Amino acid sequence: MTPDLIYGAAGLAVFGIGLWGAIALQDRMRRLLGLKLCSVGAGFVLIVGAWREPPAAPDPMPHALVITGIVVMLSATAAALALIRRLHDLEDADDRP
Amino acid sequence: MTGPDWLTLSIILPLFGAVAAFILPRAAAGLGLTTVAATTLCVLMMADQVAALGAVTVPLGGWGAPLGIELRADGLSVAMLALTGMVGLLVSVSAIDAFAGDRTARQRQYFWPLWLLLLSGLNGVYLGTDLFNLYVMIEIIALAAVGLTVLGGTREALRAGLDYVYASILGALLFLLGVGLIYLQLGRLDFAGVIAAPPSAAMTAALAVMFVGLALKTALFPLHVWLPAAHANAAAPASALLSGLVVKGALYIVLRLAGYMPALTEDILTLIGLMGAGAVIWGGIQALRAERLKLLVAWSTVAQIGLIFVALARAGERGLSDSWKAAALLILAHGIAKAAMFLAAGRIKDEIGHDRIRDLDRSPIRPTLAQVTFALAAISLIGLPPSLGFIGKWQLMEGAMMAGYWHWVAITMIGTLFSVAYFSRVLAGFLRFDRVRGGPLAEHHGWSGADAAPLILASAAVLLGLAAGPIIAFIDLGAGGAMP
Amino acid sequence: MSDALLLFDLLLALAVVAIAAAALLVRDAFAMIVLFVVFGLLSALAWVRLAAPDVALAEAAIGTGLTGALLLKTLHHLRARGMAGWQPGAVAQRPVPRAVAWLNAGLALAVMAGLGVAILGSPLRVTGLEIAVAEAMPLSGVENPVTAVLLNFRAYDTLMEVVVLLSAVIVVWQIERGAGPAPAPSLGPVWQGFARLTLPAAALVGVYVLWAGAEAPGGAFQGGAMLAAIGLMMLLTGLYRPHPDHRGLARLLFVLGTVAFAATALLVAGGGRASFEYPPSYAKTLILLIEALVTISIAVTLTALFHGREPVALKGDLRHDP
Repeated sequence: MTPDLIYGAAGLAVFGIGLWGAIALQDRMRRLLGLKLCSVGAGFVLIVGAWREPPAAPDPMPHALVITGIVVMLSATAAALALIRRLHDLEDADDRP
Repeated sequence: MTGPDWLTLSIILPLFGAVAAFILPRAAAGLGLTTVAATTLCVLMMADQVAALGAVTVPLGGWGAPLGIELRADGLSVAMLALTGMVGLLVSVSAIDAFAGDRTARQRQYFWPLWLLLLSGLNGVYLGTDLFNLYVMIEIIALAAVGLTVLGGTREALRAGLDYVYASILGALLFLLGVGLIYLQLGRLDFAGVIAAPPSAAMTAALAVMFVGLALKTALFPLHVWLPAAHANAAAPASALLSGLVVKGALYIVLRLAGYMPALTEDILTLIGLMGAGAVIWGGIQALRAERLKLLVAWSTVAQIGLIFVALARAGERGLSDSWKAAALLILAHGIAKAAMFLAAGRIKDEIGHDRIRDLDRSPIRPTLAQVTFALAAISLIGLPPSLGFIGKWQLMEGAMMAGYWHWVAITMIGTLFSVAYFSRVLAGFLRFDRVRGGPLAEHHGWSGADAAPLILASAAVLLGLAAGPIIAFIDLGAGGAMP
Repeated sequence: MSDALLLFDLLLALAVVAIAAAALLVRDAFAMIVLFVVFGLLSALAWVRLAAPDVALAEAAIGTGLTGALLLKTLHHLRARGMAGWQPGAVAQRPVPRAVAWLNAGLALAVMAGLGVAILGSPLRVTGLEIAVAEAMPLSGVENPVTAVLLNFRAYDTLMEVVVLLSAVIVVWQIERGAGPAPAPSLGPVWQGFARLTLPAAALVGVYVLWAGAEAPGGAFQGGAMLAAIGLMMLLTGLYRPHPDHRGLARLLFVLGTVAFAATALLVAGGGRASFEYPPSYAKTLILLIEALVTISIAVTLTALFHGREPVALKGDLRHDP
């Protein structure tokens, strides 16, 4: 057993948990968190793909891709959270007489 | 490569336009329209290059794949770029009118940067040859599209927008997971590497995950649930862009990847076809039941996307060597006609004051040009000759009949009957005058410049069928290197 | 490789998975965010174990730190607006039947198990692009391979990533336009003093991380995130209050990175060079210049994403502006 197998399996498991959260949960913030877990899970897969048995150096390409993915996910999260806040305000205003 | 780099320009020009429109909100409309026109000009120059050379490749940074990223334009890419440019230009013209006035000042201010970012993202997808780069591009498209969906700021639009965000991000992340799995197998992400990959269970799994993600983004049944509300509740120009162009981005990637799938067995194709058939039938039923005009048009998008997948799936044992052309034609036809139809539906709603289908025949106001536009777009979407939609359906059915796949012919017929039925609900409302209430007919109401752009689009959808031969020949250009 | 390290890997992997599940399942929303932050930091630790320190830094700073701050801000907003006793599930649209929930869980599980089997059943350990990267490094103008990929080999991707950030801030401003003044979370005067003391130091660290990115782990995104953390502190302590007059400047700073990056990409082309092809002798200068400007844009954009609403003058109730 090597670290890449262990973390590869963990990454797929995290993606699966996130997938379940994104499609099965109702709470808006929680569904978004599920999506964030998916992105970390996909990050694990790419980083495992970059890992080489020491002392060989890892492949830098997937590392760069994951950094890009992290920033992209933050952008999407920020947009979704803004929608959640605005929608909450509108629904809140409607609930009041 | 010879001559200027039109490929990079067609992606970066809209970017500069978006920046300029964002910094100078007061001049946004003028800057936006100019940028879209200039970008379309780039695409025309690129079409010229592709017609002469077959396919054009630009190694960005001079590195070349797989270390760097390459842009590649062939017939199919340019056809999609041209669709985007043409529809985009005409929607832009009508957006200037739709967002005129003080009441929509803030919508106008944000429409242009978002639409130009969307244009940049779409052009990037059509020219991209790197899987990870496609992921970044579909995220730009997703963010801009969500911004356009909620432009109106109503509660319904925001709810639909949030569902769209979830579907869109999840689709992109499934795609990203597939990208990761492919890197695990191949150690590279350029198309050339994927084509050369030997078939394996792992490759099939990776491509399947990517396909599910893309199906979610393009709203293939049964992953379509987010689409009708999102497209129906957006402002008219935004709906036209969303239904006409945005869903085509993911659809195009499916079309490209389908050609590359090493182990695309007939079983998988049949499954894709069945999902398409489900969309045709379910979308048809829902369009028949819809009470609002824009919702009907949105459901018809679900059905039409299903038909495009049926077109792809009818290939059967012979592979996709021919069926992708039928799918491509249907994509082009739907893009033009649906944009025209959403713009027309928006005009009708503006003029009459509502878009309840059952009350259309009671209205004393008849926005004639918008109604004609709607009818012309319906002709292409139903698939009556000589429209582009007809040619696409003909290609689909001819191939299916030659291969002996009568079930796909039957599905296409059923879809056609459905579309006749649901569009008739609307057209009948336009033509009946005996139930008019509230004063004399104001038949000429709505003969304004705002009707010109959708009318040109709808006419193009019908008349381009006459130029089908050259179009089919063009999308085939340079396909040798990309489509097996 | 020693067994002790392998055991550590196993335990860490288990903890990551368990905390991911716990974050989704815990009832209290605040606990959810705390668990998420723990999850993010443990993931970053795992990535250090997988020899990816740059990515770990980015995940800790951006993926976990800033995302956590955004989640907390949103939770604060939801709780402050009317729903004092806001509970998870309170804003659900419609309840999902239990059977459907189980079906979804089974589906997700089956998909992931299938993927695992498909991947494990095929040869792993192909050579990636490390050889191609190593060969091209001398021409890239930087010493850190990840920075070389991000700002030279795949500069186009990175430009588009900066564009994604720009799109996000435009979308957020668009969505929250006309929204009433946000119930801004704020820190007390003690924190204000603390912030005054630490902010200059933090700024230095941010600039250093950016500079170090050329040789060691770090770079524009991590540096930008550090500077954004300063921005967050200034917002939270009230040292900086967004004002409508600052909008023009903010817009300029948002687009600065995109414009510099894209303009450079086009300007270096010609004379046999493709777009984005930096002449090797200028590569280092150009990359550092782009990185510096992109860092400013990232820092300002991330801060604006945290603040949310565009700072507009509110004339009466604009909450329903069309």
